[in-house]
Amino acid sequence: MASLCVRLCSRHIRSGLQVSSYGTHSKASRPQEKSSSGPVFQYVGQHRKPSHKVFVWGFSFTGALGIPSFVVPDSGRKKPRKYQLTPYRLETAEQISSAACGYGFTLIASSTKDVSKLWGMGLNKDSQLGFQRTQHSRHQSYDYVLEPSPVALPLVEPLQTRVVQVSCGRAHSLVLTDKEGVFSMGNNAYGQCGRKIVDDEVACGQDHSLFLTETGKVFACGWGADGQTGLGHHSISSAPVELGGDLSGVEVQQVSTYGDCSLAVSRDGQLFGWGNSEYLQLASVTEATQLSSPRRVPLKGCGKVVQAACGGTQVAVINDKGEVFVWGYGILGKGPKLSESSAPEMIPPTLFGRTEFNPSVSVSRIRCGLNHFAAVTDRGELFVWGKNVRGCLGIGRKEDQYFPWRVTVPGQVVDVACGVDHMVALVKSLL
Amino acid sequence: MATPAVRMFRRLEGLFCVYKPSGVHWKLVRDSVETNLLKGLNATPSLPGPQEVRFLAQPGTDTETPKKLTLTVASVPVLSKHPLVTGPEFQHIQVGVGHRLDAFSSGVLVLAVGNGNKALNDFCRIRTTRDYTLEGEFGTATDDFSHLGRVVERSTYDHVTQDKLNRVLAMLQGAHQKALLMFSNVDMHSQEAYEMAARGLLGPEGKSEPILTGMRCIRFQPPNFTLEVQCINETQKFLRKVVHEVGLELRSTAVCKGVRRTRDGPFTLQDALARHQWTAYDVMQAIKQYHSSKRKKKRSISQMKKTELEQPDKETTSFQQNETDEEAVATDSGLTSGRLASIMKLKSLHWLEHI
Repeated sequence: MASLCVRLCSRHIRSGLQVSSYGTHSKASRPQEKSSSGPVFQYVGQHRKPSHKVFVWGFSFTGALGIPSFVVPDSGRKKPRKYQLTPYRLETAEQISSAACGYGFTLIASSTKDVSKLWGMGLNKDSQLGFQRTQHSRHQSYDYVLEPSPVALPLVEPLQTRVVQVSCGRAHSLVLTDKEGVFSMGNNAYGQCGRKIVDDEVACGQDHSLFLTETGKVFACGWGADGQTGLGHHSISSAPVELGGDLSGVEVQQVSTYGDCSLAVSRDGQLFGWGNSEYLQLASVTEATQLSSPRRVPLKGCGKVVQAACGGTQVAVINDKGEVFVWGYGILGKGPKLSESSAPEMIPPTLFGRTEFNPSVSVSRIRCGLNHFAAVTDRGELFVWGKNVRGCLGIGRKEDQYFPWRVTVPGQVVDVACGVDHMVALVKSLL
Repeated sequence: MATPAVRMFRRLEGLFCVYKPSGVHWKLVRDSVETNLLKGLNATPSLPGPQEVRFLAQPGTDTETPKKLTLTVASVPVLSKHPLVTGPEFQHIQVGVGHRLDAFSSGVLVLAVGNGNKALNDFCRIRTTRDYTLEGEFGTATDDFSHLGRVVERSTYDHVTQDKLNRVLAMLQGAHQKALLMFSNVDMHSQEAYEMAARGLLGPEGKSEPILTGMRCIRFQPPNFTLEVQCINETQKFLRKVVHEVGLELRSTAVCKGVRRTRDGPFTLQDALARHQWTAYDVMQAIKQYHSSKRKKKRSISQMKKTELEQPDKETTSFQQNETDEEAVATDSGLTSGRLASIMKLKSLHWLEHI
């Protein structure tokens, strides 16, 4: 075997012709040199693991993308980039395991035990990213954070706790840790949760928060004028209270909310909803425009519901076969003619890449921004559709997209977070 | 009055496919097929030539009566129509070639004789897909992407597994499917675009970049692997480049050892004529088979139309009706499983009615 050169990017120029009896350069005269000459390059070892990256795109002037040169260019010749219309790599210090997009700000968290495990960027007028001390004064906080900056969490044991999940709402954010419960920051801060509610998931609506415990109970607090807290009344609740209604006794596996409507999926595949129904999100259950108590939403033809996602005016669910059902108001994903529906409409799986060569492609994750949808298939492809608010879809154009469109991301998409006008994708490289 | 050769020529008009071996220019194949057909046509027993009445001078005793000329009547063959004077009846026939194959590749090559060239024109203009089998080998990269080229680089490949290869193929497929949508000249904001995309009918019309509509790995034994691809508007060099790019994505290198077309529109490897079958008789059989399969398709389409009329469905628009027709065409002829342009829907029926 020839000598092995472990060299990553260099190119070794062949040292002239080895055998050439005629001195000509044509292919016919040069005999085929077998594998005994020349170096063999090794670009990747046998035990290479895929690397994890973060990609961001959308409106950049709030700083939510975390790339300061878009807002304040490095050199005088460059112009500020207002909209990043295609995915752009964000360099992070650690491997990011969870990300969330709020209204003009982003939180990214890594599951490490180090001191800095949570970074925030974007709008910070309501301290949604915690206290970011300025260079000039110890008591002032930055209003706009342009780069991912560490968020200090008042942890009892900072080197033992890990951040499990983050969630962002309009002007507040929630951080779920594995040992010390939930922390909240921002507007209408509902107290520091040092309590030992063992939480599984948190979800932030526009001005309300939902907590899902390990045992499947849902707690809510916050603004309730549309009934989105589901506590049976339309006023503010400042401490988390358990939800009743149709949800009592039901084990919930996932909650989702973004605007004023909330959805919960139980472990046996039933869907429960409460909150705003002005846009026909819950019209199959009620004719009223608001539901203040959770009600079971019977879905015909959907099968067992696995995941649900709530947007501002539209709703999407996936069933166990990986099919996507949408309803509500807005650009639902079935062409410009379908702009509102009260019954679930299935999006044809051919739009997600199912062909006769790949008959088993299915959607594994669905997320909603305020006016758009994002779906991740089991092969790691990201599809987006909906209103393209300031370039948040990432398709390279500023126009709306009326049916699912593939976003070109270099790698396999693991998870995606949708905001109002920007998105964050956690990507695993192919190799 | 038609001679037997002309009658045989009429039976030879149509489309058929041959198996082109690798290492041979497609023109040589076409020329040898034409020569064999001419041999077959000119070997038919010709009708006896026309006769004419001529008054021949009798060889008599000229010295005795020099002034008298005695003539005898005789029926002699017309010399100007003698085959040795006129030459063989067929000296040239029109043999056309469909989608070409370069010298390195092998596989199904569609040819047309005589009037079949008109149908061949339509066939080439309609957007059909073609199936290829690509043999690849990891470890080397050459300048023309085939194993006969000059080696540019060699690299290791022991990190490559079938799982990684499938991931890379999925990514390439995704990029090509996006290209299908982007090259179709349909306004993305229209309801029609959504409906066509949902059915998988969006695609480029006419000339465009080569696009792979499907790709999968059917054999993986490092360093060798075999890919099966389905593509439109492709060239064989592009397919070899695809193998090269698969190697690059896997952080290794790959060359293409063989490109083999297994299907061109409705013509598959089963219908292709082998080297020893390039004779007039076998070509006639192949063309007869092609005509009968076309008639069967037409019958099935007209039957579908009849059932549509018998059960009038108010919601069936002409769009959907054409779509059921084209599905019948697609499933029968294997043109493509659902990737036909809207123009093709109307043209396919027109093409079948042509001959």
